[in-house]
Amino acid sequence: MSDQDNKAVDRAEISGMLAKKAPEMKHILNYCLHCSLCAESCFLYMSHDGDPEYMPSYKVINSLGKLYKKKGNVDREFLEGIKGMVWNNCVLCHRCYCPIGIDIPRMIDFTRSICRSQGVFPELDEGESWL
Amino acid sequence: MIIAERKPFEEIKEMLKSYNNVLNVGCGGCTSICLAGGQKEVNKLNAELTKEIPALKIDGYVIERQCNYDFFADLDEKASQYDAILSMACGAGVQFVAERYTSIPVFPALNTVFCGVDRNVGWFEENCRTCGECVLGETAGICPVTRCAKGIFNGPCGGTRIDGTCEVDKNTPCAWTDIYNRLKEQGRVSNILDVKPIRLWQNQTRRSLIQEDYKARYAE
Ligand code: SF4
Ligand code: SF4
Ligand code: SF4
Ligand code: SF4
Repeated sequence: MSDQDNKAVDRAEISGMLAKKAPEMKHILNYCLHCSLCAESCFLYMSHDGDPEYMPSYKVINSLGKLYKKKGNVDREFLEGIKGMVWNNCVLCHRCYCPIGIDIPRMIDFTRSICRSQGVFPELDEGESWL
Repeated sequence: MIIAERKPFEEIKEMLKSYNNVLNVGCGGCTSICLAGGQKEVNKLNAELTKEIPALKIDGYVIERQCNYDFFADLDEKASQYDAILSMACGAGVQFVAERYTSIPVFPALNTVFCGVDRNVGWFEENCRTCGECVLGETAGICPVTRCAKGIFNGPCGGTRIDGTCEVDKNTPCAWTDIYNRLKEQGRVSNILDVKPIRLWQNQTRRSLIQEDYKARYAE
């Protein structure tokens, strides 16, 4: 259970964070070619038999991508819902290769910061695992 | 993984006594996992500091790794707004932060204790002293540097107790007894029959490592 488990999320804070990095992040979200080269270079994707939930582009589009689409208008449930995707499904190893230079771990890192700002992060002492 | 523990509160307080605008930076890597310096621990320490030192303005922020500058972009924007930084990473991370912001004093909130494994939630054990010449292949996967009180390479030392514990501490199993027993189980006792040459412990200089496949890249 998070520290701020019952508190409403601060949507203005989330929107502010998103807006601040919009030029950098939206740009890269818009240019994904869906070529799947990042997938082949992600060891987690490869070691999970190509489970799409581990595909780098999928992880970003379904977390940060959705945050932008909803302009930060999300609730705690949404953030709790993407928590696994940005913590358990990516170790931020920076090994994924994107031919057009999209920095996937940077975006996942940013998504984690948004979650952290609202008190959403893995509770390792409550039995939540990292991987 | 690197295991650390929080410094005594009084020591942290003493380090910060000349500063009134401090950023406490947590690490999303090892020290989150060992429950010493992640988001929760940053929040907790800041709450304690705020209660104890009302004049102190302390903010918290966690970056995912303090040992890799790829994760520093947000911290770069914040750092200059503070007159000191407290880091809840391991010693490597603290130094990397200090190297990045040389004009800002950086203080360690943790003691970095060892390189080890998870036994259970919040329970860790030291397994490796990163000696740089691993002998686990010969010693049945039991490290004599870390687990033998004398760090000897041709054990046991003669002080092993009859019940297989170490003469230095009756609660610690003798590493060399364990090594012998496991090698025996695997039919590999011959591994330790020859006397090993003396290890050339060298004066320590800072180690750095480039993986073989990347040597060409950094040849200059
Ligand atoms: S940074 Fe994340 S997405 Fe990229 S290769 Fe590593 S685990 Fe996969
Ligand atoms: S800075 Fe230290 S504690 Fe943080 S991830 Fe790196 S090695 Fe682990
Ligand atoms: S011999 Fe022990 S200390 Fe040295 S690298 Fe191996 S496990 Fe680590
Ligand atoms: S009793 Fe065993 S563990 Fe203890 S110092 Fe001697 S050889 Fe090392």
